[in-house]
Amino acid sequence: MNSSIVLQLILKDLYLVRWIVASSLAAGLVAIAVMPLSGVAAYVGGVSLICTIVILNITLVMSTVVQERKDKVLLFILSLPISTTQYVAAKMASNAIAFIGPWVVLTLAVIAMIGSSAIPDGILPFLITVLVYLLMYYCVLLGVAVVSESSAWHAVVITIGNISVNFLIPLLLSRPSVYTHRTGAEAVWTGDLVSVIAIEVAAGVAALVAAYFVRSRTADFV
Amino acid sequence: MNEPLLELDGVDKTYRFFKLSAVALRLEAGQIMGFVGPNGAGKSTTIRIAMGMIRQDRGTVRVLGQPIPAMQAVAKRDIGFVSEDMRLHAGLTLDWHMTFVSSIYPGWDASYAAQLLERFNLHPEQAIKALSHGERVKATLLLVLARRPRLLLLDEPTTGLDPVARHEVLAELMDVVRDDRRAILFSSHNTQDVEQISDYITFIDRGCIIDSSDKETFLDGWRRLHLDVPPGATLPELRGVVETRTSGRLAVVTTRAYSPEIDAVYERAGARVADVQRMSLEEIFVANVMHNRRERVA
Repeated sequence: MNSSIVLQLILKDLYLVRWIVASSLAAGLVAIAVMPLSGVAAYVGGVSLICTIVILNITLVMSTVVQERKDKVLLFILSLPISTTQYVAAKMASNAIAFIGPWVVLTLAVIAMIGSSAIPDGILPFLITVLVYLLMYYCVLLGVAVVSESSAWHAVVITIGNISVNFLIPLLLSRPSVYTHRTGAEAVWTGDLVSVIAIEVAAGVAALVAAYFVRSRTADFV
Repeated sequence: MNEPLLELDGVDKTYRFFKLSAVALRLEAGQIMGFVGPNGAGKSTTIRIAMGMIRQDRGTVRVLGQPIPAMQAVAKRDIGFVSEDMRLHAGLTLDWHMTFVSSIYPGWDASYAAQLLERFNLHPEQAIKALSHGERVKATLLLVLARRPRLLLLDEPTTGLDPVARHEVLAELMDVVRDDRRAILFSSHNTQDVEQISDYITFIDRGCIIDSSDKETFLDGWRRLHLDVPPGATLPELRGVVETRTSGRLAVVTTRAYSPEIDAVYERAGARVADVQRMSLEEIFVANVMHNRRERVA
């Protein structure tokens, strides 16, 4: 019964966020589609894509984790035959699927768009680094929302996450390895970019593992 | 002795401004226990510990034979929990919730669910956010009762309900324990509801269980005596007397262990017993709580 109820909880959360996910996916694909049209379109499309992913990130975490707790729906869910550890696992799994699914689709769409358009392939490592950063931001926000009931902490992570993207982009573009190759015909994966991506992935995974570890050992769930 | 469906022993839980101390409860099949206490007494904390939602600092909790919180997932297969502040997904319909819950519980009784829809006058296609408070409570209760759980843990389920909705809910609960394999722990600060459906009553105040017995023992034992005490007569100190108030020649004595012999003892002491009143459960509850608080201070 327990593995099936974990699955039921995952499916329940995915059902609840189906429109958020579908609309974000559609908006992201439109943003990617307009990018090859012109220089301005590439800028507008890129910013729109980042905004779409950030909005998906915040909306998912707020609606499935924070709101469930605030609305006291958590009491209903925890009354079901499930342990608190299984609840945490189900919650993190459903969120991961709801975000990582569209994120993977949009990342693949970016790769396909770069490969099939006049936009130089050299920009791809930069774009992937930014997309992985957004993935890390999502993992950190999810981890904090799972562990902390404090709205202040959620606001801090969202504020830092949103602002930091604005610093990340010029910071990456100012790197000679990115600046030099961004207009090149081939994608060049320099050591420093690969290191940044590795750090982003590691930080995201660490945030999720830490959140699972802390929350599944929490004495008081409500 | 039957194995209890719910057993708490020496349960402690400490918060910054509240402490649950040495809570012990035992509930057997066929029983409805009213769990009565003022707001903030520890009723919800106790029930949530029994559900595994809050981990006790000390003491043992066994529900349906399972240690809690370790085996909460197994125990909760046969527990129905309803809390006054529990909410369903506001944007989804009752029908969606029924399908969701029935997919989790193999024992979901669809025909009983249909009966409850009829009795509670609920419409499955209605979104939860469109329901009134009373309808929402009844919807939650439907989702619990149609699973046919052996143990119902109800945390103030009738709070905020109008008299008709309260009657419907209480009638349904009394129906549940016609099957003597089942039991209900029913917390409330409304003693009328508790008096109506419970056969056992436990009082809790400021984190401590202060009294626990079957309802008849409470109602038979507690009395308020009105005495005429002439000058020079002194009332003897009797076992079971929890409060004595005097005003001139009049004295009002509240006792938890009344017997007709008490009248004779007071008469021999020179007082005249003018009246002996039975007490309602609410009066017993208030007197019990106040007596306990005075004892703690002393």
